[in-house]
Formats: sequence, C-alpha cells, structure tokens
Amino acid sequence: MTISSIALTDNIRPLTEETALSVRHLSFYYGHKEALSDITLNIHRNCITAIMGPSGCGKSTLLRAMNRIYDLNPTHRASGEIMIDGTNILSPGIDILSLRKKIGMVFQKPTPFPMSIYDNIAFGIKLYEKLSRAEMAVRVEQALRAAALWDEVKDNLNASGNSLSGGQQQRLCIARTLAIKPDIILMDEPTSALDPIATQKIEELMVTLKEDYTIAIVTHNLQQAARISDYAAFLYMGHLIEFRDTPTLFSKPKHPQTADYLHGRFG
Amino acid sequence: MTQRTQSLTNWTVRGLTALSGLCVVVFTIAFAILLGYAAWPAFSSFGLHFLTNEAWNPVTDTFGALSSIYGTIISAAIALVLSFPVSIGIGFCLSEIMPRRLVLPIRSLIELLAGIPSLVYGLWGMYVLAPCFQTTLQPFLIKHLGHFAFIGQIFSGPPYGVGLLTAGIVLAIMILPFLTAIVVDLFQSVPRLMKESAYALGMTPWEVTRSISLPYIKQEIFSGAFLALGRALGETMAVTFVVGNAHRISTSLLAPATTISASIANEFNEATSDMHTSSLIALGFILLVSTFLALVISKCMAARAVKGRPA
Repeated sequence: MTISSIALTDNIRPLTEETALSVRHLSFYYGHKEALSDITLNIHRNCITAIMGPSGCGKSTLLRAMNRIYDLNPTHRASGEIMIDGTNILSPGIDILSLRKKIGMVFQKPTPFPMSIYDNIAFGIKLYEKLSRAEMAVRVEQALRAAALWDEVKDNLNASGNSLSGGQQQRLCIARTLAIKPDIILMDEPTSALDPIATQKIEELMVTLKEDYTIAIVTHNLQQAARISDYAAFLYMGHLIEFRDTPTLFSKPKHPQTADYLHGRFG
Repeated sequence: MTQRTQSLTNWTVRGLTALSGLCVVVFTIAFAILLGYAAWPAFSSFGLHFLTNEAWNPVTDTFGALSSIYGTIISAAIALVLSFPVSIGIGFCLSEIMPRRLVLPIRSLIELLAGIPSLVYGLWGMYVLAPCFQTTLQPFLIKHLGHFAFIGQIFSGPPYGVGLLTAGIVLAIMILPFLTAIVVDLFQSVPRLMKESAYALGMTPWEVTRSISLPYIKQEIFSGAFLALGRALGETMAVTFVVGNAHRISTSLLAPATTISASIANEFNEATSDMHTSSLIALGFILLVSTFLALVISKCMAARAVKGRPA
C-alpha cells in the first residue's frame, strides 16, 4: 500500500465560506526527521475540524505548528505557510505573543496553574488588559460560564485549581483559554485523560463553543471525531491522506487507507 | 534442598542489610551522646549562660558561645541571601533561555565548582578576595552607606578585609553550586505541559518562570535553601581563613568575628585547660543541633510540598 502524496481533498462542501486558518504545503522537521510532509488544508471558521490518525502520524505536530508552540524547541522547524488573516504566521518576524493570544490551546492533560481557580482565569486576562476588580470579576465569570464550569465553582473561586476533578480542571483550562478571547482554539486530545462522563461534557461544550470560535481538535478517538466535527482530516505517517466534511469522510471514504483506518484495520 | 539454601541466602542478605542500616542509627546516636558527654563540663558549669555569654576568655577560663553562634548565623545568612537569587537566575536561564545543548556543559561547570576543596576557597579568600575588598568594596560601603542611620551601623569601622561580610561572600560562592544544582533540578521538574500551556497563553519566558514555575516549586526551593544553610553553618576551612577570628559581636559586618567551626579549628590544638576543650566541644554540639534543625526544617518543607501536589 503506497501513501499518496496528493490528498483527496476534492468534493468539500464548505459549511461556511470563510477560512479561519489555511495551511499550505506545510512540512515539519524534528532535527533531520521529517514529521509532516507537504500538508495543505483549510480550517473553516465556526466549525470543528478534527485531525485523526494513528499514533505518530503527525497530528499533534500539525496542531502545534498553528500557534508555533514548537518554537520552544530550537531543533524543530517548519517550512511552508500557515495563513491567518492574510499573514503567514511561520514567517520569522511574526509577533508570537499576540499570535498566541489569537490562537488558544488546550492540552492532553489538564494543567491548572499553581494558583486559585479565580487567578487561573484572571492571570491570562491580566497579560493583555488592565481591568478594575469588578470588571475582572465579570470577565472571570463569563469565561467560567462559557466553559460550563461556573455553577460548579462559583462558591469556591479561591480554592486551588488542583482541588477540582480532572474533567473540571480541563474545563478550567478551556475557560482560561476563552478568557483572553482567541479566534481559534486548538485542542490536542483534550479528553484523553478523562472518564466518559467528563468527556461527554467537554464534547457538548465544544459544540456550543463553535458558535463563537473556530476549533481544531486532534483526537485518536474516531467516535469523538464523528460525533462533534464538521470536517475531518486523516493523517498517516506525516501525509495528509484525506480531508473532507465529516459525514462524507466517515460514510464514503475515497482513499482505501482511510477506510482501513475507520474500520479499525490498523492504528 | 534448594529451598533451604534460598532461605539461608535470604536471611544472610536480610541480616547484613539490617546491620548496615543499624550502623547509621548507632553511629549517629553514639556521636551525639559522646559529644554531649565531652561537652558536659562546659554546659554544667556555665549553664544556660553559655549560650548568652559573649565573652570567650581562655585566661580566666570563662567561655560563652554567643559570639560564635552570632558569627555562624550571620555569615551563613549572608551566604544564603547572596547565593539564593543567583541560583534562581541560573535556574531560569538554564531552563528557559539557554539552548538545550549548552545546558549540560554549564551544569557540569557548576558541579565542578562544588568539587574545589574548601581550603582552596579559604586561601583564595585570604590572599585575593580579602585584600581586594579591603581596598575597594569595603571603603566604598563605608563611604556611601556608613553615614545612614541604621544601615551605617552595619557598614562602619575600618576596612579590615577579613570579617563577617568577606566570610559570607566566600561562603556564598561555596554553596552556590550546591544550591544551583538543586534549583536547576527543581526547574526541570515543572511539568512540560504546564509550561507549554503558559506559553500558549502568550506568556514570555520570565512570566512563565515567575508566575508558573516558581510558585509550582516554591516549597522545594525553600527546602533546598535550608539544606544549603545547613552546609553553610558547618563550613570550616574557608571561613576560618577570612572571618578574622575575634570572639566579639559587632554590629558591623566589616568587623572581624568568628564562627563555631572556625573557633574549633583555630583553638582545639592549643586548648590547654579542660574547660577550654570542653567548651569547644560544646560549641560542636550546638553546631550539630543547629545543622540537624536546618535539615529537619528542610525535610518538613519538602514533605509539605509533595502533599500539596496533584498526583
């Protein structure tokens, strides 16, 4: 079975015309090892785009290129373009801090900061805005409400972020991301450390969030991708095999590898 | 048959390891008891006055530990105050700023600093640092800070070169590698994902360190600082060279003073009266107790840190 270098990306019926982020001919290298090879895909505004594939296929790498978090390791480098609002965010002169304000990220495991629930949210806001106490309280409440966490923590805002359950912690991390008003939210297997009930809550939350945000999610859970995403991409060994709207990808995959993966024949 | 040999081996190993473990306990207790026994004449004849008396007079055979205790605590405190921020700075630099391939060589260099014998630090302190301070740093401090109300007291008197401040600075250099090794390890213990989440919010390396990493490892850092304090309290040779060896308490950090270990090193050979010897051993006993306390505080803090951490 050969890996096609040209992805099957025809026949996409855009749910919205607008593209929030567009990846063009992206290749990515860990030192000399190529992890992504010539990826081209669009992330549509106010949609959930799922990136799927077996372990090591490069799906996290693709996500981590979108906010340049890979910069933390100097041996990692990307070539190609990632366009947001007409700017190539991979170009060296880009202002990383404002890029990361615009593109939030939620990680595999909840990572509450070592501070109170309130401060976990307020901290990010303070980086960008000078608010009065009252204004800040409003913003913190908004963020916690948006992440469907407010009712569970409103009496305990001064408790440590670590005192929450895993699912609550992950929603706290989502609230923290929402608080600084990003356009796009990247989620790197956000439910992989959570139990099914917490996972369901996060999934429901994501579907509500797409009203206001654009979401790209990496997941190795096929059912999750089928349940919540509007578009789905299948990556295999650093190549984009297939990318189209989710119902079509799952019901009529064009590429035999996609079909094999969806039917659980590998990965 | 096989089973019998196995159980024999098992018992031999158990017995030997238990014995080795017991050795540690026995030695520690025996050491404390012997030290207490030899120090008893001094403690019994001077009583609590031994701890509060500043005078140390071999001629009249009256001894008080206060000046030595004072010098020990102040020099160790100076060392900690100076080396603590520097070690945090090195930790920050190595964990967030430096390219990863430079981290290992720099860490090795820091560890090499710890390998220099304290005698060498002492000689360097006496022949290089002290004369240098006498002509530069100390006159500068006296001139610019000496006339202030309270701070002036701390920086008054003639520039001797040797003294508490010099001892503290030499000690600071000596405990720096130790403290830095601890701090660097702690910085590396901060979960990568937590730091990445902070960066993903658009924080700068310094913001991540100040607001995320440092609060995360706060308890352990203080625990490490007490461990370093324990080291500074007991350091002998380097301090003996540069502290000035004067049994007196002066408000000025520039004045010659002494520490517990410096007194013992200087006087033990020449102690003629039994009371002098016993008093020196009593000083050693006090040192043992205070290093032990520093260790206990350090352990308690580390234990609290582990308890407050999510699994």
